[in-house]
Amino acid sequence: MTRFSDLKIWRYPSQWILFRLDDRLLLIIIGALVGTCSGLAAVAMYQGLIAMFAWMHHYQGYWWSFLLPGIGAALAAIFLEKILKEGAGHGVPEVVYSVSRYGGLMRLRSGFSRLISGCLTIGTGGSAGPEAPVVMSGAAIGSNIAQYFSLNDRQRVAIVGCGSAGALAAIFNAPIAGLVFTIEVIVGEWSAVNIVPIAIASVAGAEVCRLLQGNQIAFTSLAFQVDLVDTLACVGLAVFTAAASILLTRTLRYSNTVSHRLAHKISLPFWVRPLLGGCAVGLIGLCLPEVLGEGYHFIQDMVKGVFSQGLLIVFVLMLAKIAATSLTLGWGGSGGIFAPCLVIGSFTGLVYHRFIDLLGPGVGWVDEGCFALLGMAGLISGILQAPLTGIFLIVEVTGGYGVILPLIVVSAVSATLTHAFEPASFYLKELVEKGHYLRPRTDERVLADLTVRELVEKDCIVVYKNMKLGEFVKIVKKSHRNFFPVEDEHTGNFVGMIHLDDIREYLFDPLLYETVFLEQIMNTHVETVDLDDDLTDVLERMDSRNLFSLPVVANKRFIGMISKATLLDKYRSELMVQSYY
Amino acid sequence: MDLQLLHIFRNTPLGRELLLQSTYFCSSLNILPVLYVPQYMKFLMYFENDVVQVDLDGSYLRAPATARDHALEVVRSQGLPDPKFLEPKNFTASTLPDLPVNFDFMTCPRSVSDLSSKIGLGYIGPRVRRIIHAARFPVLIGAAVYKPWQSIAVFFGGSANALKALRLGFRLSRLSGMPVDVFTQEGKRKKRYYEEVIEKENLGPEMDQYVRQWRIYDSGDFIENIYDVAHDALVVAGAYGHGLIKDVLFGSTLEKIQTHLPNQLLIVGPNYRAAMQG
Repeated sequence: MTRFSDLKIWRYPSQWILFRLDDRLLLIIIGALVGTCSGLAAVAMYQGLIAMFAWMHHYQGYWWSFLLPGIGAALAAIFLEKILKEGAGHGVPEVVYSVSRYGGLMRLRSGFSRLISGCLTIGTGGSAGPEAPVVMSGAAIGSNIAQYFSLNDRQRVAIVGCGSAGALAAIFNAPIAGLVFTIEVIVGEWSAVNIVPIAIASVAGAEVCRLLQGNQIAFTSLAFQVDLVDTLACVGLAVFTAAASILLTRTLRYSNTVSHRLAHKISLPFWVRPLLGGCAVGLIGLCLPEVLGEGYHFIQDMVKGVFSQGLLIVFVLMLAKIAATSLTLGWGGSGGIFAPCLVIGSFTGLVYHRFIDLLGPGVGWVDEGCFALLGMAGLISGILQAPLTGIFLIVEVTGGYGVILPLIVVSAVSATLTHAFEPASFYLKELVEKGHYLRPRTDERVLADLTVRELVEKDCIVVYKNMKLGEFVKIVKKSHRNFFPVEDEHTGNFVGMIHLDDIREYLFDPLLYETVFLEQIMNTHVETVDLDDDLTDVLERMDSRNLFSLPVVANKRFIGMISKATLLDKYRSELMVQSYY
Repeated sequence: MDLQLLHIFRNTPLGRELLLQSTYFCSSLNILPVLYVPQYMKFLMYFENDVVQVDLDGSYLRAPATARDHALEVVRSQGLPDPKFLEPKNFTASTLPDLPVNFDFMTCPRSVSDLSSKIGLGYIGPRVRRIIHAARFPVLIGAAVYKPWQSIAVFFGGSANALKALRLGFRLSRLSGMPVDVFTQEGKRKKRYYEEVIEKENLGPEMDQYVRQWRIYDSGDFIENIYDVAHDALVVAGAYGHGLIKDVLFGSTLEKIQTHLPNQLLIVGPNYRAAMQG
């Protein structure tokens, strides 16, 4: 009979025999588990969306149906804010933030929150995609499994990547895109330790999707015959997609700023903002239903070359989709940017094809469906500034390598052009501006892992402001340092510093020993460091003022000194720790 | 004063009682209080292997205009220098600040998320439990009203966590000059076992130096025996280490202590590693 105490081993997963295995093998095993779980989450969201679309279909066509996207977005906001008490956001930036700052630590509730809020927003017609919610969900599942197994920061980041890859691979049935997106956008580091478990998770996620939903290609296309002239024309398409990427990025940001200002100015309840944005999307959708929801149905038509609207209408649709996406996501709706990018990209490709067809009708361009595909890759590459993700996603969702050459051209040029105008991608811009985008083995990342507390040197001799110079000279003889913090003997407060170089003229004049007090010769305008200061700032201050050490002062009390030599020593040690894995 | 205690300030009479307990603790041990006056209803604490979201009871955001002045008044009344007010630098979401976790102590009420009318002996809220479980620092759980403590009572049951609590008790005694009383309830193990644990850990000299009395109960109910704990003692005890389920469903020594003792509790969690100087 099994005794209760024998079951205790389940409470201490770090003691399992699994953990005596090779570190990489362990990550692969856990990665497969996480990929499977995140794949299931993605399938759940996909099925949830299908159910929502089927249910909402009955209510389309009524004059009041424009309210539906607003109601859905408002319900999503209420669900996130009041029921789960989780701050809203698109999902992917939160995952990158957690990977950059906290070794991939994420809350358990993030494992399902965005799935539900995303279904409410997209299912009612909001212009957003399910990919960011499933990426966040997968990443949170990975993080919590890593926490359960007590993995360290580096291992946890790899497992968070596994969750993200498994989810994206499942939602698109695209394992390579899941892997490449995770490495390019989430983890930001191409290392074997990360790639192998993430690849396994990607495969696990895709297999879960195939097992439960069948091996479907998202957008089946014709076999395109791409000539040199088409490939050259792709440079022009890349310019179009880069322009659309920049327009979408800026419109989203502008929309977000305006909505926040408005909400702040007239003190709107938090759910009114997504309600207004959603209703505006609904109004656009009354005239142009193509902008509603994820829009995959229209992509399929465009890829097959059966989208019959004329150049002007397609151009208006492209602008309308950009507006609808900005109104959905910028005004507080829940969802991702991936699917809207695909729709806008395919509209852009179509516009471009019809435009060049107008200019050169006798050239014999490849079918417009091909340009719709290339447009999608251009938009994804431009918005995410992740060209490989754009290339592999389109290859996988169309099931062939036939257009690989123009795909590479469009993705590379679009990402480069967008980068010239928007140095940080849509996902990362805010993180970069706030200094939260810390990539492995960069200065910022290494220094972020160290604190002032760890570097404080406490072997300084403190002197007092009313001490006579003679007494001070006796202390100097015993000390190996050439700077001395000065405190007020009554309050204990730090009042200044004495640096031997500054007072050398007094030191060798014994006549002054009994008449000069330290208060008279100390430097009171001293640059100080707080225990909570960022080491990046501390190092910058040292460099800009040509200082080699600074006093650390907390609450007016002297704590110790921080020196550039110690800082760089610790920096090197930390860099070695980060490079070891 | 390079040790720091984090206190989440609530601008209410109940919050004042808790701050008085924090400031007394700080003044007795020469610790700098770091006060966080919440501006949002929730915050995150990213620990080594866990992230804890604390959803505050609405009273934490009451009367923000007077919060700092009230806090300063209480801190100054204990003769402490002005506290440091914590301003979060990082935000996971726009209304979700991340609080740093590199403190030496933290003060918590019995619950941070429930209405004060629900809080009583025998109840420690789930967020506070999570913090205790994840933190590297010990957590001071305040009593209903402020009472200066004059001695330190350590509950010692021979486990690894109990040893951490005992060591912490010695250090508190060294810093505050107050005597330590050790309480042990014999169960399956007898007195000799506990003495051997102390010997094995080389804690004999510290037992002699800091401990005023070591009460080992070989009979009677634990709940009856804890009547001997002084009413004005700071109780130090280890927590968890046997899994959350067991603590919640079956009750541990700590559950009995927190249910029956109205004293201030300093709880040492399984991840406690902070090295206290002094």
